Amino acid sequence: MQVNLRHKGSITILDIEGRVIGADALALKAIIDQQIQAIDSEGEHEEKLNLILNMERVQMMDSSGLGALVASHTTIQRGGGNVVLLNLGGNVRSLIVMAKLMTIFDCYNTEAEAIAGIMKS
Amino acid sequence: MGERTKQIITLSLPSSMQHVDLLEVVVTEILKETNFTEDIQEQINLAVIEAGTNATKHGNEEDPGGKTAFQLILAEDKLTIDTEDEGEGATPKDTETEHVITLTLPSSMQHVYLLDVVVTEILKETDFTEDIQEQINLAVIEAGTNAIKHGNKEDPNKKATLQFTIAEDKLAILIKDEGVGFTRKEVADPLDPENLLKSSGRGLFLMEACMDSVTYEANGTIIKMVKYKETPEP
Repeated sequence: MQVNLRHKGSITILDIEGRVIGADALALKAIIDQQIQAIDSEGEHEEKLNLILNMERVQMMDSSGLGALVASHTTIQRGGGNVVLLNLGGNVRSLIVMAKLMTIFDCYNTEAEAIAGIMKS
Repeated sequence: MGERTKQIITLSLPSSMQHVDLLEVVVTEILKETNFTEDIQEQINLAVIEAGTNATKHGNEEDPGGKTAFQLILAEDKLTIDTEDEGEGATPKDTETEHVITLTLPSSMQHVYLLDVVVTEILKETDFTEDIQEQINLAVIEAGTNAIKHGNKEDPNKKATLQFTIAEDKLAILIKDEGVGFTRKEVADPLDPENLLKSSGRGLFLMEACMDSVTYEANGTIIKMVKYKETPEP
């Protein structure tokens, strides 16, 4: 798994690539937690984390990876922020469908739609 | 010295030249865990493939019932590779239509990647569609992760064994750990609304969703999973 971090205005985007399996879940969770802490340490309590997870190049994800997404979703929402998924491939989509988590995550097909969606909510 | 950090990975293959590719992906993946330079890694890889080809072709004369066992011992200061044709007394004999591949791993989460490349390579030998291959791959990763993490509690002295039987009509996979086991019905349903947002507990559910049959034996320390080539009549 490889993760690239970029920012677009107040939105944080993680481009995730490869197979998210085994210990990758812990690594992904750590990267997201870092972003949550970065927001917290800025001290502006109005600030919330708006995160887009770009899954376009994720070939496969296991239940540990999915668990990391769910845990991050819970933490970010609790802090008043938002996390949305972008460009779900067939494998990851069917994983989320099987786990009945489609209603939990907002999913978008383009970055522009994801940004619009995250700003609206 | 180095005894505690020594990791032993074994791979037992039927004596068919097509399995030399599988050996190559395993060795390539294991070499990534070493700090040998790329040039040295290439040399080791070549040597192992030559040894594997010899054992398969000359040792066992490509008798598909014959087995070649490779033991890769990863220590702090060296990598040792033992090749043995016709070892592994415990491994079931192959027939002309059934191939058995066995992989034994020390219980480290790092080895989930090795397992992933092994399954990917084995699935290439089957004629399952790409979608089905991905489902099987996921089920094996879940089962392997369970064995390493929950069964063996990531104790490097405990082994996770995976046995793949490639038959004409199906792929059967046996996963064995050295843990205390568990009772399937005591594992919570991840689709229950109160469990939906939990960060773990979906492994067994996914294995069962992806495979045609999953059975638990020896108190859950042995799991048998089967995927048929064509969905059996209900």
